[in-house]
Parts: sequence; structure tokens; C-alpha cells
Amino acid sequence: MHVVLATDGSRPSLVAARQFMSFADVAKVDEVSVVAVVSPLATVPFANELGGDRKDHPRGLSFREEAHAATDVVMAEVLAWGVTQVHRRVLSGSPAAEIVRLAKESRADLIVLASGSGGLSDTILLGSTAQRVQHSAPCPVLVSRPKH
Amino acid sequence: MSTSSSGSSPERCGAFWIAFAAGVTLATITGLAYAELATKFPQAAGASLYVSKAFRSPVLTFFITICSLSAVFAASGSLATGFARYFGSVFGLVPALLVTLVFIAVLTIVNFVGITESVVVNMVMTVVEVSGLVLVLVIGVIVVARGDADFGVLTSFTAEGNPVFAIVAGVALAFFAMTGFENAANVAEETINPSKTFPRALIGAMLTAGLIYVLVAMSAALVVPVDTLAGADAALLEVVRADVLPGPVGVMLTVFAVIAMVAITNTTLVSVVTQSRILYGMARVDVVPAVFAKIHPTRRSPYVALIFSAGVVAALLVLGEVLSRLGPDVDLVGRLATVTVVFLLFIYALVIVSALKLRGEGETKDSYRANTPLLYLGVVGNAVLLSYVVIDDPGSLYWVGGLLALGGALYLAQRVSGNRQRAGAATDGGA
Repeated sequence: MHVVLATDGSRPSLVAARQFMSFADVAKVDEVSVVAVVSPLATVPFANELGGDRKDHPRGLSFREEAHAATDVVMAEVLAWGVTQVHRRVLSGSPAAEIVRLAKESRADLIVLASGSGGLSDTILLGSTAQRVQHSAPCPVLVSRPKH
Repeated sequence: MSTSSSGSSPERCGAFWIAFAAGVTLATITGLAYAELATKFPQAAGASLYVSKAFRSPVLTFFITICSLSAVFAASGSLATGFARYFGSVFGLVPALLVTLVFIAVLTIVNFVGITESVVVNMVMTVVEVSGLVLVLVIGVIVVARGDADFGVLTSFTAEGNPVFAIVAGVALAFFAMTGFENAANVAEETINPSKTFPRALIGAMLTAGLIYVLVAMSAALVVPVDTLAGADAALLEVVRADVLPGPVGVMLTVFAVIAMVAITNTTLVSVVTQSRILYGMARVDVVPAVFAKIHPTRRSPYVALIFSAGVVAALLVLGEVLSRLGPDVDLVGRLATVTVVFLLFIYALVIVSALKLRGEGETKDSYRANTPLLYLGVVGNAVLLSYVVIDDPGSLYWVGGLLALGGALYLAQRVSGNRQRAGAATDGGA
């Protein structure tokens, strides 16, 4: 099966990937796409908190490179888990729309992502990325929520 | 935004549309330099990174970044004050300072929540914005069609003193209206086939916007006596007040004021995004304290940078209010717009120099190349304008100095806290 792992550079997104790997059968996963979406219109288009970046930033801060660095961290863990076909997809636009589009185009069998807090503003104003992906995904969606 | 009048000399003559045309031309030349650099280095977008590539001087790079940041702070303040004037024309009574502070606070919260990412909201706001300008143009066309227009006004220079100076002052104002390069360069990284698309999109957008501004300026000059226009708090409201359109003037005035408020809100939103993004970027590359790179865990917004920026803009607004209570009346919209323009002219001149200096570096066979004599003209034009703006309003230099000092203070804070961190890391075994 082909799995899409989405990361927004946050710790919970890495936890989501780890949770998936903790119970999934690696023998049945033949392909993983690690996707990060840069949103040019957001105040911070991509915030990487996973490390893996070069600290010296020779060309200054690039949000695309930040997204690249975040996918590096997730991809390394997936490779270590034992999947050989791991792709990197750094996309640009609205996160939910881009994740769904990628899943459609690559005929993914599962999308894995973390949910934000789902606070009041999320519910009323926008709906979180996770909610919107669930709403229009072409395949099953695994949403990881922080455990309290 | 051209929807506010600064009360300086160019509006006192009908030919101020020429000033707008000159400003748009100079801005377009600067745009050419940006287009060339953005296609050569799509990954390194923005003035500070181009300057860093061209001069390889960390001090100059830091300085230019602080200039960009200060320019946006001043622009936000100017826009907020402009918003309060239109707000006052509809609701009256509410103190302007209160309106500006609440305005900045609300926009900061909106950015924290993240609605700016919505393409739909952006489109709706842009449509409203353009409809306001179309309204002014329609009024102009009606006046011309009635045969009431005196075209002589368009070529009359009645400003006291040198007409050249009058034009130059207007150019500076027009410049304020055309300040989207940085934002455009920021998305260059995201553009498909940037060497073709980017120059075309940037120049196309600038010429379109420029044409609209010039037409609006001409229309305003034809409809309203130029003296009235110059004395008005919100110049374009006077065009509507001329009672050319069918329907009661009161309603039309309110409608237009609301349109203007939406337009100003849109522009201010962009500057609030830009200022916190610059701060965040500086913190990430360790030139200001790392606290500015703090991201809210669920909203994914740089909340410290957002709050700090709002604080700086609020301080500018309060300071402006206090100063105009104490001494002579300061026109805060105009003053802060001038401060913005001083910073921008300096940045733009340096970007054009960088473009010339980086010739022969990073070029591919299809990268865009701006016309060289035009670029030299651009450097001279920006420099002339900069010196004029400073001579015309020396008081703005205090504000410029104050904002630069703030940047210096941030740098020192980073040096002190950075050293402490490094010392701590050393005792932990160099981790």
C-alpha cells in the first residue's frame, strides 16, 4: 500500500508518523510519500521545529529549505523502519488542498497526519487541516491527536 | 494607498498626476531590478538577501533588514491613521487614537488565527478595493461627459516654489503606493518557471496599478477644486462629496468610506504579516533574540513577533498623538508615510546597485536581464528623491533614527543573550 505522511514541521506531526509505524505492518507498506506544504500567504509559511536543518543558513532563511529539512527528519525514521520506497514531496499552497490532491494523484491508500488543538477558532472559522483533509480525502485518513 | 492626502505641496496643483506618473515609472525601474534578481536567485528572496549576496557584509545585511522592518512598522502606523480618518468620517466621536490601536490589535489577532491564508478573503478584499477606485473614475468620466471638466487644471503648476520640487514630493507619495516588491519576491520561490513568469507578472501588475493610480489622480483633480483636495483629511471622499453620482450623497459617502476602510485593512494586513515574518526570519538566523522565532504550538503563528510588532506600531501611534498635543500639529499619516519612503528609497537604491554588482553571477541563458542604463537611472532617481524627501521633511529623520535605534537594541540583546547561551553550551560539554 502507498501511505502519505504529512508533516507541518511540528512535533505532533512526527508523533503521528511514529504512531502509524508503531502498529502498521511494514511488510504491507511498499511506498511512503512524506509531504510538507509551504503556505506562501501565512505569516510563517513553514515553521520547522524538528531540527535537521543546517544551522548556518548560507543563503538566509528559506521556507522551502525548512520544509525540506522537516521531511528529512521524517524520511530518515521511515527508512530506518524498513520501507525502501520513500519519496519527498514539498508542495506549495493550502495544506489541506495540497495533501488531498497529492493523495488523489498518487492513488494513496492512507493519509497520516496530526490534528491541531481543534480550539474554538478552528471549529468555527476554518476547520483544521486535519478536518478538511478528512472531509475530502480519496482514501482512509489516520488522524493522530495528542494523548492526555 | 493613495487614499490619504499628506497635505504637502504637490496636491496644491492639478498637475500632481504627473508626479504620480513619475513615481510609478521610478518604481517600475526598481521593479525591473527586483525581477532580474528574483529570477537569478529564486531561493534567496528579498532585499536583505540580495544585498548580502552582492556585498557579503553582515553589518550591511543587518542594517538593510532593520531598514525593511522599520519601513513596514512606519507603513502600518500610517495606514492605521488613514483608516481612523475614514472611520471618523462615518462614525465620528470615537477618538482617532483609540480606533488606530484597536485596528492594529484586531489585525494582529486575525494574523495569529491565520485567516490571511484564505485566498477567497484576499480576492473579495481586492475586488472591493478596485471597486472604490472604479467609483472615482466613473465620477471623473461623468464630469467629463457633462462638459464640466476643465482640462487646463491637469497641466497647471500653482504650487509655491519650484514646480520640480512639487513633482518630486508627489513621486515620493506615489512610491508609497507601490511597495509590494518584497512580498512579490517572497513568493518567487514558489513560482513555476520564474525566469519567464515572474518579470512579466511583476511588471504587468505594476504598470496596471500605476495606470489606475494616475487615472484616479487625474479624475480627482478634474472633479474637485485642487485647494479642497489638498486641505482634505481623506482626499478621495471629496470626489464623492462633489455629488455627481445618482443617489443621496450621505449614503454614497458612507459606502465609499467603507470601501476605503476595506482597502486599507487589506494593505495593513499584508504589512502586519511582513513585519512579523521579517522578525521571525531574523531570529531564525540568530541576528535578533531567538524568542521572536517562537511558534504557537497549535496556531503555528510566530506569536512573540506578532505581539512585539503590534507594540512597536502602537508606540509610534501614541508618540504621534502625544507630539501633536504638545507642539505643532503633526500630520501622522504623512509623517509616517515619509518615514516609510525614506527607508524604502534607501533599500531600493541599494537593491539596484546589488543587481548591477551581481551581473555575471548566477546567470543562465534564459534568466531575465534588465536594461542597464535604466538601472543607473533608477539609482540616481532613488537617490535624488531620497535627498529631496529628507530636505522637505527633516523632522522625519528623528523617527528614522528612533526605529534604527530599536533595531540596534535588538541586535545588542541578541549579542548579550547569545553569548550567555554559548557560554552555557560550553559548560554543558559543547553540545
